[in-house]
Amino acid sequence: MRRVHPGWHRHSLYCILPPYVVRTIAQNGSPAQRAAALRTMAVDNTFRALRLTSAVGAQRVPTRRIGGMMAESQRQRFIYNMGGQEGFPGTLARSEGQGATGDVAVDEAYDGLGATYDFFWEVFGRDSLDDGGMPLNAHVHYGMNYNNAFWDGQRMVFGDGDGDIFNRFTIAMDIIGHELSHGMTEDEGPLMYFRQAGALNESISDIFGSLVKQKFLNQTADQADWLIGAGLLADGVQGKALRSMKDPGTAYDDPVLGKDPQPAHMRDFVRTWEDNGGVHINSSIPNRAFYLASLKLGGCAWEKAGRIWYEALRDMRLRPDCGFARFARITSLCASRLYGEGGTEEAAVVDAWGEVGIKVTREKISVARVPTLKVPAVQPSGRPSA
Amino acid sequence: MRIELKREGGIAFLPGLNRPRTFELGDLPPAQAEAITRSVHAASFFQQPSVVGTASKGAADQTRYTLTVEVGGEGAEGGRRHTVQLLEPVQDPHLHALLELLKQAERDLRREAARPHG
Ligand SMILES: [Zn+2]
Repeated sequence: MRRVHPGWHRHSLYCILPPYVVRTIAQNGSPAQRAAALRTMAVDNTFRALRLTSAVGAQRVPTRRIGGMMAESQRQRFIYNMGGQEGFPGTLARSEGQGATGDVAVDEAYDGLGATYDFFWEVFGRDSLDDGGMPLNAHVHYGMNYNNAFWDGQRMVFGDGDGDIFNRFTIAMDIIGHELSHGMTEDEGPLMYFRQAGALNESISDIFGSLVKQKFLNQTADQADWLIGAGLLADGVQGKALRSMKDPGTAYDDPVLGKDPQPAHMRDFVRTWEDNGGVHINSSIPNRAFYLASLKLGGCAWEKAGRIWYEALRDMRLRPDCGFARFARITSLCASRLYGEGGTEEAAVVDAWGEVGIKVTREKISVARVPTLKVPAVQPSGRPSA
Repeated sequence: MRIELKREGGIAFLPGLNRPRTFELGDLPPAQAEAITRSVHAASFFQQPSVVGTASKGAADQTRYTLTVEVGGEGAEGGRRHTVQLLEPVQDPHLHALLELLKQAERDLRREAARPHG
């Protein structure tokens, strides 16, 4: 998915300047937005530069970021209809710029991809998942009565649901944002899909998935429902969504689905070998920390909390095996980097983590190890290797 | 023949759907049981490796199915037991067909259980 342009000469300034800053300035003219962009630029340079110079080999040198200097969005959406089959790619049903097809799943996927692209572009100046204009491919009507949606490393895949338990998986915009965010995490992180790092990976997808929906609906943090997958459960199922970021453990309680197992606090952390070590279970702990931080920071969650979490994901101190405590420290460091040391933003982040049972320590995080690995050398046992 | 289907992964951890489900073919409608038996043979289930499919880099929310087939004491395959893990998308058409039959049987049982009894 990474596009490499051998022979590209990289201007040294472009290597250091986060391109989204340039684009944000170019795109948004208001003084407040310019100020925000400049502040981001001022604090972000050091870390971006550090990351680039210390990347071992060319692996992490993002030649793609040059393409991001463009000040216009470059949405490229392709929706394929699988027609109940599972062999990719299916039939191209709608591509960028084409009108509605009348197929609800096709059109929801197209709109959801658009909302997700626009979210990352407008809020972070990020040009698609790889910040290099990567086309977004979604495949709908996958399988028969298929009860899932997933990211296969390159594409989003959505089932129609069986109608008994689930409706079509395109119905919830946050699910679309969730799947796409997995692509971004893989590009920026990565975070191993296992245990606490995997739960953080899941949490980041829930967070940005929810923010895509909140921005689309133009909701403030206290107006949002903070549900993942609202509308997805079929009629008759006793529940309102797959997960609740606000009140983990309360999304459903149903004879067929069972009871929502998500913990709201570290004291209830679930140790298990299932679900890649509970990646979809314990993700609720960092989810709730984000929700609490958003409420404390006020306004729309993507403005401050979203920015802090986004920077944390891009922070070079984020290792592939990052645990909750380390991630919490990184978010608090990002808050102080973005909004000032000892400021209310940093305090809000630290308090939010404290409320879910994670104490943010003041000690410095070593920057000696650079996360150059795209994939752990040894696959964790919870995930069958090739 | 007895088959156990266990589902793991997917976009959410749903405890009720995560529990393994065992099908005693003798308890299923004869046509369904026969179709499943045929499918087990067509897929050469006992010759399949223990893991089919590979996790691609960066993939997330994919479902993994664990199928265990156990044959009773009688006949050529008597006493055999084999477990295969399938990672979606399941490319092998025969294994795919077997999985679909089992999912259908699961759905039928669930619908039956949900029906008010009488
Ligand atoms: Zn996920």
